[in-house]
Amino acid sequence: MASQRQATSASQVPHLSPAELSYLYTSLSLPKTPIRPDGRSPTQFRPLSAETNILPGTNGSARIGFADGTQAIVGVKAEVEKTIIAADTLDSRSLGQQGDQLNREGEEGSAAVSGQGEWVQMSIEIPGFRDDDALPVFLSEMMRESLVGSVEDGKDVEMAGGLKGRLVINKRWHWRLYIDVLLLSQPLAYPLPLLSLTTHLALLSTKLPKLKSTGEEDPFFDDDWAAAEYLYPRITNKPAKHTTTAQSHPVRPPVTLLVISVGENIIFDPNREEIAVADAVLAISVTRTGDSDTLKLLSIRTIDPPSRLTQPGIPNSENVNMLGATAPSDDPALLNPATGEEEVSRVWRPRRGGVKRSVIARMVKTVLEKGGVGEEVLEGLEGVEVI
Amino acid sequence: MKSLRRDTSTNPQAANVTSKVFVRSTRSGKVQKIVRELYLREDIPCSSKLCSQCPKIAPADANGNIAPFILSDRPAGTKAFPRGHYLLPDTNALLNGMDLFEHTGAFYDVIILQTVLEELRNRSLPLYNRLLALIKSDEKRYYLFFNEFRRETHVRRGPEETINDRNDRAVRTVASWYGYHLQQSAKKAKKEKTMPAIVVITDDKENLRKAKEENITALSLSDYVTGLDGSELLLDMISDSKDARDAKEASRGDLFYPEYFSMSKLTTGLRAGTLHQGIYNVSPYNYLEGSVKTAAFDKPLLILGRDNSNRAISGDSVVVEILPQDQWKSPSTKIMDEEAVTRNDNPDSEENEAVVTDKERKALQEEVKKAHGKNAEGKPQPTAKVVGVIKRSWRQYVGHVDSGSTGSQAASGRRQQNVFLLPMDKRIPKIRVRTRQAGDLLGQRILVTIDAWDRDSRYPTGHFIRSLGELETKGAETEALLLEYDVQYKPFPKSVLDCLPSEGHDWKVPASKEDKGWNGRRDLRDLLICSIDPPGCQDIDDALHARQLPNGNFEVGVHIADVSHFVKPNNPMDLEASVRGTTVYLVDKRIDMLPHLLGTDLCSLKPYVERYAFSVLWEMTPDAEIVSSNFTKSVIRSREAFSYEQAQLRIDDKSQKDELTESMRNLLKFSKVLRQKRMDAGALNLASPEVRIETEGDEVGDPLTDVKTKAMLETNSLVEEFMLLANITVGSKIYEAFSQTALLRRHATPPPQNFEDLTNQLSKKRNMELDVSSSRALADSLDRCVDPENPFFNTLVRILATRCMTSAEYFCAGAHAESEFRHYGLASPIYTHFTSPIRRYADLLVHRQLASAIGYEGEDGHAVIEGVSTRSKLEDICRNINVRHRNAQFAGRASIEYYVGQALKARGEKVAAAGKDSGIEEDGYVMRVFENGVVIFVPRFGIEGVVRLEDFVLPGESGSRSVAERRELAPHRTTDFDSEEYTLRVGEKGHPEKERGVTVELFQRVRVNVSSVKEEGRGAGKRRVRIMVIEA
Repeated sequence: MASQRQATSASQVPHLSPAELSYLYTSLSLPKTPIRPDGRSPTQFRPLSAETNILPGTNGSARIGFADGTQAIVGVKAEVEKTIIAADTLDSRSLGQQGDQLNREGEEGSAAVSGQGEWVQMSIEIPGFRDDDALPVFLSEMMRESLVGSVEDGKDVEMAGGLKGRLVINKRWHWRLYIDVLLLSQPLAYPLPLLSLTTHLALLSTKLPKLKSTGEEDPFFDDDWAAAEYLYPRITNKPAKHTTTAQSHPVRPPVTLLVISVGENIIFDPNREEIAVADAVLAISVTRTGDSDTLKLLSIRTIDPPSRLTQPGIPNSENVNMLGATAPSDDPALLNPATGEEEVSRVWRPRRGGVKRSVIARMVKTVLEKGGVGEEVLEGLEGVEVI
Repeated sequence: MKSLRRDTSTNPQAANVTSKVFVRSTRSGKVQKIVRELYLREDIPCSSKLCSQCPKIAPADANGNIAPFILSDRPAGTKAFPRGHYLLPDTNALLNGMDLFEHTGAFYDVIILQTVLEELRNRSLPLYNRLLALIKSDEKRYYLFFNEFRRETHVRRGPEETINDRNDRAVRTVASWYGYHLQQSAKKAKKEKTMPAIVVITDDKENLRKAKEENITALSLSDYVTGLDGSELLLDMISDSKDARDAKEASRGDLFYPEYFSMSKLTTGLRAGTLHQGIYNVSPYNYLEGSVKTAAFDKPLLILGRDNSNRAISGDSVVVEILPQDQWKSPSTKIMDEEAVTRNDNPDSEENEAVVTDKERKALQEEVKKAHGKNAEGKPQPTAKVVGVIKRSWRQYVGHVDSGSTGSQAASGRRQQNVFLLPMDKRIPKIRVRTRQAGDLLGQRILVTIDAWDRDSRYPTGHFIRSLGELETKGAETEALLLEYDVQYKPFPKSVLDCLPSEGHDWKVPASKEDKGWNGRRDLRDLLICSIDPPGCQDIDDALHARQLPNGNFEVGVHIADVSHFVKPNNPMDLEASVRGTTVYLVDKRIDMLPHLLGTDLCSLKPYVERYAFSVLWEMTPDAEIVSSNFTKSVIRSREAFSYEQAQLRIDDKSQKDELTESMRNLLKFSKVLRQKRMDAGALNLASPEVRIETEGDEVGDPLTDVKTKAMLETNSLVEEFMLLANITVGSKIYEAFSQTALLRRHATPPPQNFEDLTNQLSKKRNMELDVSSSRALADSLDRCVDPENPFFNTLVRILATRCMTSAEYFCAGAHAESEFRHYGLASPIYTHFTSPIRRYADLLVHRQLASAIGYEGEDGHAVIEGVSTRSKLEDICRNINVRHRNAQFAGRASIEYYVGQALKARGEKVAAAGKDSGIEEDGYVMRVFENGVVIFVPRFGIEGVVRLEDFVLPGESGSRSVAERRELAPHRTTDFDSEEYTLRVGEKGHPEKERGVTVELFQRVRVNVSSVKEEGRGAGKRRVRIMVIEA
């Protein structure tokens, strides 16, 4: 068990027989019109319910529950921390000049100020896992990576989607963010989408105390919590008509979507059974930046598909017990799309990984295109009243 | 999915739970969001005696008692509210008019809201404490209503509401609730007509408007006061409100002072070490020169001029920035008196007001010139400017109205006008006060407080609190003195007197040894104990005995009044004593720390009666080597109470051979050995310019004969030595028992640079050297500073040396390393105060600690050590008693000074009647030399005073002229000041130097004429002691 947990992404491969796997695979890979076990369309997400600001003691928090009973809570805490100035930036000015710096506030501009990745800390707790197990570590790193590095072009740090740029208070001080993710239920499916969406909502609701000091002074904050400002600024004057793209948040935290491919088909928000037969599992992170209307791709990660470890089915032709009992099959031999190996139809063969370029391109396109899945998800989340 | 969020709108269960959210920034730089849950209740009473419902539901304490209801059932009425009214002030009303609320003529039955109290605490801590005191005392009927915890009056902050608006709404909500609530209970009692009105007092216009909309009676503070009797007096007590000042600021754009840095900029600077924090102190000789002692530098930083002091007032905790080196200056060598320089300022006209007037600027220029002098003392010193104030230490100031500043029709009209108040304390700038009673206030001692000092005003603005009485009347001057030194002089409240033993003066040591009072006490009644004190002493703290033991050694005992037996920890009497800290001795008055009954009777170790004592017993060899020491609670019977003189006579009288006298002789013998040992260890023999006043003198005689310099008899030193020994012994005992919390006293080794000036002066003028490397070296070198011509010279040097030292302080053992415990002056590694518990609170605490250290269990068998074992609490107490101790000394000195002045005046009047007005001639000594005057010390009266140029009587000039005439002389004087040689030559213009000229130098003995004069030409002037140099 332990070794399996280490090896796979631990979506707790359901105990399905090769025949079941094969059946699932076949129905999911039907050209153009895959049939999903729960009857969803390929891009349809499971229904979810969400609320924000459930933990009064945090700077921001959210909870999302999927209809299958999986639930996650995310709390965001922020702390002021002194920035350790790297040695190379320090030697240009001697320590004695620090006083002058105070007066020359902002002279050097904020261009020199850029955040550092380690300012965001993420910890994920999943029942039944130790915090140093592969799954939580991998998940948190995957989510943190897109969060931290979302935009690094630095031309307009404040408005870019990158979280770490936002955490800079001034040259000597910054916010440190602790994102604590708690999965409340057993991980029935691969928990990434759930955790990512919850984190997204929690960050949207995160507020930081309002800064009262200016420039390079030691930070000093307004003690009125009502005056605190959102980490992701929002446009307050909402348009009278609810436009299709409710842009109340010009910049959004990234969302990581889980996409699988089965044969030529692309399936979003897969459940556990679907993942079990996937050819490839991809985690695609997207975000919306302020300057353009389109979504921006942040990262694509492949995840080891659990189907690799399933038991293969044995074709009747090779089954000694069945020897001679059946007529030779007239089905044409199928090609495993990943490996190119010849496969016997309706007999389960573990997927060996590998996915076609065109499929990945299609996946990305489906996510990013205008009116695509990505926008749909973000819009859906926009609907959650963030207070 | 069920929501986890607490929804207050729909859930009726959640209605009594709410939370309060705010951001807290900790000192370490952490910024936290804090969520506090509030559980609302419905049993918080309205505390009105009219209410019939609340007594039924009010919560009871463990004994089943309900807190008594406070608000009167017959509150006072006014014209507008004939049926009586309860007041409901908001925070601003309290900020602007706290003195009104304390006034005894009006403002009764006030409801203070928790919201208001908390807001006040954030705005002004001193006002908060004053309000708390009001709430605690029952006479003014102030009720603290916990509105935030009562369900009906709790107010949730709206989405876009500011905190201020929310708090205003809370006040209005309470007002309408109170109205409704009292109406309800009146309906039941069927007397609706008689219900008092609830009057909201607020200075916020918006709040007034909303109150009107909501049908709530609300008035601004001044509108309310106008409707009261004696409103003129009361209106003066409203502080110059912020609104009025804002309006003023809007109309006139001139800002005289630079703005303070923002708080965050200050903290950044302080942390980075570019700014420095310290207490701002103004020089007593020059009001334009201040200094700030900071942790970063050995010497204080100079702050010169109003520009740089930037509205700081002596005592404020300020942040300073060091000025560039080209602006460094030497400390001033001029005497500058604010009264004299700025006499012509007009308090009303501010148009042509500049921060630095030309006169002041000129005066400063001369200083700069001097700064480029050559000698070490004149070397430019780092200067700094104030860039922020961390904490104001504004208090109430006593002073008198500058008669020149009142308008011409002052006496006639009731017009409101600005006047200047000249504070008694010279270091405090004049205060501009708006008043309608300027005419009445002339010639009175009055009490004012500072409200603000804005950037656009040259002087701070304040408001009148009350008049203490005519200038120079004994009552007013004594009260002024007590107020100025913050001495708590009100009679003890009833709660304190309730703590006294019920037997009163009839209390006796229980006769039966079975009585619990004897638990743990040794019977020392058979010892021959006596006390030696100043004549007429009533509070006898200490008594002594010595007897020979069979083994040839001696048993020596010091017995101290057992005050801790009567003052139990944490009762009202103990708390009152800890606040007072010490008994204050004035010339004709004693302000006791403990009630009279204890101090002068039950605790006092009076002769011939049995008293509880705390005894320290030593076994000593005949050479005064201590073999062992022992501490015990005891019962003693003093055989006799001697005065120092009586004791001295008895010891010296060879014919007296009784045991008591022998015992005293032994004590004297030991004390001499002890003293010698102490001196060998390097104890300093310091001098203070003290005189004693014996008011026994008959009326007809010369009042000045009462003024006596303190005589030192051998018996004085006898008592002193044993007290020191007892204190040291006890100090090490309690430190042994309580290594963290022992209450000790230390005298820090003064840094050598403190002595720099004195060392310079001595080597220059007398070629003498002062070795300050250790207390021993200092003691020896002080002994060598002798001028055969001038016997007083040595004392003068000792006085000056004492001023260079730091003052001794109480501290908690855990606060310093053991090596820092040293008492420099006494050359003892450890020291405490044990021997005067009647008049010092520290001694009382030490008694408790010692009792606990020796395992004394108290009369009821359980040791009472509470209150002496928490360090933070002890540190608070130390801080307080250190301040009180110092203030008591200052007050005592000021009292003597005042008395001497009065005695001189009385004498002057007597002599004047005989047709001659000449003052009295005495010897004086030059203590300091300035460019335009000298400071002279007159040992006979223990006073020091500034002698200005006009008060030098030049050869060939008639001696006595009136003050006004002499002032005319000032411009005709020429001076030649040599800052290196500390000499000042005064001549007269137009006359050859030699004929008419007088030279004075430092340490010189001069003949002076001392008299008491009234300042003339400035209306109701004050009286001062004038010293004239008549012969150098």
